[in-house]
Amino acid sequence: MLNMVHFPLTLGLAFFLVPFAALSEEVDFEKQVKPILTRKCAECHGGKQREGGLRFNDRHDALSELDSGGFAIVAGAPADGSLLSRVTSQDESDRMPPEGERLSPAEIEVIQRWIAEGAKWPDQSSAKHWAYIAPKRPPLPAAAENNWLHNEIDHFVARRAADIGLPHSAEESSARLIRRVSLALTGIPPTVEQVKSYLADSSEGKFERFVDACLASPRYGERWAQPWLDLARYADSNGFQADQLRASWAYRDWVIQSINRDQPFDQFTVEQLAGDLIPNATMDQKIATGFHRTVTCNVEAGVHPEENRINQIFDRVNTTGAAFLGTTLECCQCHNHKYDPFTQDDYYRFFAFFNNTPLEVKLTSGVSYDFYGPSMELQLDKKTALRRKTLEDRLADLNRLKADQKQAARGKLKQLKSKLNAEIKKSVTWQPLAVVEFQTASGETHEILADQSILVGGSLPGTTSYSVKGHSGLPRITAFRLEVLTHEALPGTGPGRGDVKRPNFILSEFQASMKKRGDKTGTPDSLLFVNTIADFSQKNWEIEKAIDGDQKTGWAIGPKFFEDHWAVFQLDHPVSLPDPETEIHFQLDQNYGRGRTIGRFRLLATSDDVATLGVPDEIKEILALGKTTKAQNKKLDAFLETLDPESAQLSKQIAQLQKELAKTQPPTTLVMQEMDQQRETFKLIRGNYLDPGKKVPPGVPSILHPFDEQLPRNRLGLAQWMVDPANPLIARVAVNRWWANFFGRGLMASGEDFGTQSEPASHPELLDWLAVELMENGWSRKHVHKLIVMSATFRQSSKLNQASRNRDPDNRWITRGPRFRMPAEMIRDNGLAISGLLSAKMGGPPIMPFQPPNIWRTVGRNGPKWQAAQDDDRFRRGVYVVWRRAAPYPSFVTFDAPDRAACVIERPRTNTPLQALALLNDQAFLEMAAGLAVSVSRQVDSDELRPQIRQAMQRCVARIPEQEEIDVLFELYQSELKRFQETPGTAKKFLNGCLSPQQQSQEMENHLAALTMVCNVLLNLDETINY
Amino acid sequence: MKNEHHSLFKTLTRRHLFQQVGSGIGGLALASLLRQSGWGSDLLDGASSPSPRMDDQDKVPHASHFPARAKNIIYIHLVGAPSHLDLYDFKPQLQQRNGQLCPDEFFEGKQLAFIRKQPMLLGTPQDKEFEFTKCGTSGIELSNLLPHLQQVADELTLIRSTHTDQFNHAPAQMMMLTGFERFGRPSIGAWTSYGLGSENQNLPGFVVLVTGQVLGAGNSAWGSGFLPTVHQGVEFRSKGDPVLFLSNPGGVDDASRKRTVDVINRLNARQLLDLQDPEIATRIRQYELAYRMQTSVPELMDINSETKQTHEMYGTSPGKESFANHCLLARRLVERGVRFVQLFDQGWDMHNSVSNRLPTKCKQVDRPIAALIRDLKQRGMLDETLVVWSSEFGRTPMGQTNNGAGQATNVGRDHHKEAFTTWMAGGGVKKGFVYGKTDELGYGVVEDPMHVHDFNATLMHLLGIDHEQLTFKFQGRAYRLTDVAGVVAKKIMA
Repeated sequence: MLNMVHFPLTLGLAFFLVPFAALSEEVDFEKQVKPILTRKCAECHGGKQREGGLRFNDRHDALSELDSGGFAIVAGAPADGSLLSRVTSQDESDRMPPEGERLSPAEIEVIQRWIAEGAKWPDQSSAKHWAYIAPKRPPLPAAAENNWLHNEIDHFVARRAADIGLPHSAEESSARLIRRVSLALTGIPPTVEQVKSYLADSSEGKFERFVDACLASPRYGERWAQPWLDLARYADSNGFQADQLRASWAYRDWVIQSINRDQPFDQFTVEQLAGDLIPNATMDQKIATGFHRTVTCNVEAGVHPEENRINQIFDRVNTTGAAFLGTTLECCQCHNHKYDPFTQDDYYRFFAFFNNTPLEVKLTSGVSYDFYGPSMELQLDKKTALRRKTLEDRLADLNRLKADQKQAARGKLKQLKSKLNAEIKKSVTWQPLAVVEFQTASGETHEILADQSILVGGSLPGTTSYSVKGHSGLPRITAFRLEVLTHEALPGTGPGRGDVKRPNFILSEFQASMKKRGDKTGTPDSLLFVNTIADFSQKNWEIEKAIDGDQKTGWAIGPKFFEDHWAVFQLDHPVSLPDPETEIHFQLDQNYGRGRTIGRFRLLATSDDVATLGVPDEIKEILALGKTTKAQNKKLDAFLETLDPESAQLSKQIAQLQKELAKTQPPTTLVMQEMDQQRETFKLIRGNYLDPGKKVPPGVPSILHPFDEQLPRNRLGLAQWMVDPANPLIARVAVNRWWANFFGRGLMASGEDFGTQSEPASHPELLDWLAVELMENGWSRKHVHKLIVMSATFRQSSKLNQASRNRDPDNRWITRGPRFRMPAEMIRDNGLAISGLLSAKMGGPPIMPFQPPNIWRTVGRNGPKWQAAQDDDRFRRGVYVVWRRAAPYPSFVTFDAPDRAACVIERPRTNTPLQALALLNDQAFLEMAAGLAVSVSRQVDSDELRPQIRQAMQRCVARIPEQEEIDVLFELYQSELKRFQETPGTAKKFLNGCLSPQQQSQEMENHLAALTMVCNVLLNLDETINY
Repeated sequence: MKNEHHSLFKTLTRRHLFQQVGSGIGGLALASLLRQSGWGSDLLDGASSPSPRMDDQDKVPHASHFPARAKNIIYIHLVGAPSHLDLYDFKPQLQQRNGQLCPDEFFEGKQLAFIRKQPMLLGTPQDKEFEFTKCGTSGIELSNLLPHLQQVADELTLIRSTHTDQFNHAPAQMMMLTGFERFGRPSIGAWTSYGLGSENQNLPGFVVLVTGQVLGAGNSAWGSGFLPTVHQGVEFRSKGDPVLFLSNPGGVDDASRKRTVDVINRLNARQLLDLQDPEIATRIRQYELAYRMQTSVPELMDINSETKQTHEMYGTSPGKESFANHCLLARRLVERGVRFVQLFDQGWDMHNSVSNRLPTKCKQVDRPIAALIRDLKQRGMLDETLVVWSSEFGRTPMGQTNNGAGQATNVGRDHHKEAFTTWMAGGGVKKGFVYGKTDELGYGVVEDPMHVHDFNATLMHLLGIDHEQLTFKFQGRAYRLTDVAGVVAKKIMA
């Protein structure tokens, strides 16, 4: 599609001035001539425009005398009229059209033939562009070379080729052919064994059997899902600011499954547009509606949810137009279509069908908007469902037990209260620790004050850790107390250091340790805490989090700044210290960042037996109240629990169960859902949602087939209208897109546009024939795909020759087989398959293979983190790789994958140095090279190296490599081997980057490294990434 | 031309080519080798274009529509949108009326991102730090927060009348950078690369440098939309590989890489002879180019070779990711013929505490940007390089005192699409000139409005491109950067 090479016109014309006696078939005015006149001439010579006296409204007009005298067209005599000389003129001031794209050589050829044939122009020339008239099955053109023809497709292709005068190519060699078919259908190359047995097979119909096997393979759906997902703009994130992940992978899996079971294309369409509205819709049918829930969604803080909603509907309308109708409706958002017969009214009538789903942006908490809207729980697999049931039952039991306990505790509240009051009165003697040593991890200064508290100063680090050594002089210790204190020297008096206004701190972890008796040199043993309590904890930063072993959580005191606080840590059992001077080590980790560190603190110890650790002020206050709120009761319950280890144990069990239960939470997927109350739709003036015009009912574009009044006026009705066999576009658009996937370009080169401005189809009859063939064969995708790959056309050799290079570089006339670079995902899949690493696992949540660091670093919220899979997920197919719109998988982007923020019908196909760099150096591809090296060096029996290299190369290209090629690779192997041998350690260094470490001999290591270099070359070959 | 080599082609044996291509890398390039062999030019013609570019095979207009005033653009986008009122567009009236309720028409029926009840006007602080100074001979007023830019004020064309249609970050970024508020359109850099190509065979035509996090519009901010993907911006990184996958893996040295690329190309050349597909010739050239980039890009990114004086001027320190480093790299990129360099700097979205945060951000960018202008001038490059300061929108003259949750915050400014200031310097624009005017409170434009489309049309014009002529046909329609609008601001041309 990007390789348009423009002939110098003189050359082109010279070539097309072949004797047209040879051209046996007449030019079709409607399909071939009229579109050219409409696109290139009508602006000045159509409708009311009649510049120079020339107008192409009908034959009479076109053949009339010009203002200048003379004629533009003289029927039967192309050279006598001025039309041809004007459109081929080299003189810029003379040439037509004066602006914009010139007529292509092919178009000139059509015009010339048409005039020569008598400029036939049916009186009843339809006012409609051909694409808006339903296709009829055209008769098969007679073709001369009967022995070449395999099926109907070839008749059409052969006829055009004969017209043009280009010979077809011979059949591709068997190995290359089955590689082509296998990749085209499954995205995976044939194995060497498959090639071997195919070549050895001499029975009839082996090619068809091979094709059937490909079509039956589950890999088929995975390969064909990719172009559909591009068009469905399927991704795993919202897009825009705060590009967070969301779950709709079930839709991706649905597409794969649907294609695998060859769901008829009409049903495939209906379920995606309106599966939710089908009576008694199945879960699968609802999942299918994820098609229109893939739209981007802006949740940044200033978003207006209604504007976002309208934009999403625009997207749904435009994507529906592009995907099923090959039509750009977008222009009509603001005004009637400039060229195509679609009006702004048409647009908003169409829009009305989609205007009945809820808002997808919701103000959730405070400043945050979130992506919202209907999602559906998926079914769990049997095993998980069973486990979930068991967990739920157990949880119910425990909760009952807990409730009973609570009840009992409440009953005893009075008793407890008095006990507590006694506790409160009971005095615990706390002995301050004498500080022996203080160190910080981040270079702060400090001062030990008279009360043995430590005042920290100096530069403010982001994070820090304090280490304190001291002794209490007590022979026995039951608990420690940490006092966090204010001081005038601290910002805002503290107790934290980071901020004058909010002098908070976060104590990530509090640890204590002590050396065993008599042990002078060993490392101190950690002391275990059984319980902890603080006078106050910030919400979500409770004191328990300072001893939970998790550096990401901790204790903080906001918003109670500017005052002293304390926390007590009770040891799991009292420790005796024969030597009261025994040093106790404390470590206070503060890892939150931004200087949220403690400014002044003191450590104390006690030897008193404390039934409770002390009663926090908060609890005292609650106890003093007559009536308590729910929140207060919750706090009280939590405190009472500290007095009752059994109850605490139960709570722990419940929390654990809940965690496990969360793991069996059914995954969800996004679906469409109609609101009960139908929204009214108004035409939006210039597409502005704040400027509604007149009200419009749901309806379809008037130029297309009528909407059956029996159908409901909702999305389901629209979907059924869409797959009506009277729809002139849907089948043509579908088969054309498939064709483009097989041949690298469509029969209509502009797959996204079938409108009046589109370039005419290269084989209009074939397009119609295939469209009718699809509809009349139960809309079977596999049927059409099989026809295509079975055709002689597809099976031609892709070699270019002098004639085809000069006359048909783009292979528009398909006189050779297709050859083009694989799409991004297929490059990955192909490499994985070749290397033997490919995982066959299908479906499920998206995967994260290797990608370089710092790719995901977009603005907004707690962005998801990339964690490269270390298991089999690392080697799964590209279709399963997580698609984050703001930063898609980089090597895919390099190979022209879109960001999937909008519908893409056809990917561009470029050829850049960045692609070379990715294949050479991306760790993902190096792993494949190493995988290939390992697997051939294992599988080949012989110790000989050449067979190993030959095996590796054959895996890449399917054909049997030639001796010369092996020689070059072997030479490389030897020089690389020498390099690895001469610089010890290099091989290990290289292999560590692309292979999981394994014990092997130095010799083996050097061999594998050198072979991996060879495989790296093989995976980079143009032949390996083309098919 | 096309026909004359055909007979030679036939006589060339496969082995002959195969052996010769082997010495391709670093020595004789394949292209010249093929040409010397007397047959190849015709094969390669399908793959090469008249001037050396990254994207050899694509259909590109490659057309200057009229003489370019600027050859290159260094486009600095301040992500989040700085307050034009406190930096470039001084409003004494606003200061006087500080704290008064804003006029009804500033609020009622207006789209504001955060402000929910009628806000108070917010003047620039009456504080020495925030004072404006008339600078240079032109007397342009710039804030004292930008002391270095003040010194090059005479080089600037200030556009105080820029305005846009969008008031949320990501859509407004796309509006500014792609001419359309939703996804799918090519960015201005991609259009430029598509229109003009790259001048350096070893570097892409459109390079992006990001300081801080990536902006809300994500890769789309420098994407190629429906244009061929070769035109998308290539991000050069300060951390890790400067270009993704540029470095050889551990244990592979330059000599070894040369050998492997050499073998790849020899084997590809065999295929080329066999299949005669010009795409293979292109791929061979791209491997040569990739190999050269492995040397040229790190050399480019290494700013150690710059003089001490230069480092002092920019405030750069080698090896660090900083906006200053990116400014210096921008000059090095332009020096090497990169057409469009885009710098993004994150952190200007000041809904609160604008008086605390603005000075900090200004310190990060003021010196390096002024240095960039000076440096380009000293090297005689400013005449053909256009430096642009831009953002997705401006900020309200009204104060914002609450966050989205309604909690009180230190006063800041909300998003503002009605008016903001951008500037250009160098390549073809007037020196020390102010274009456009806002009302006395800085709310709306009262003179010479410059809509985003006008702004982009003007940038294209300065590059020698007629924004109405540079189109790409997609979905049956000829698309362009400026949609159906855009008027070139001729008044700012030198």
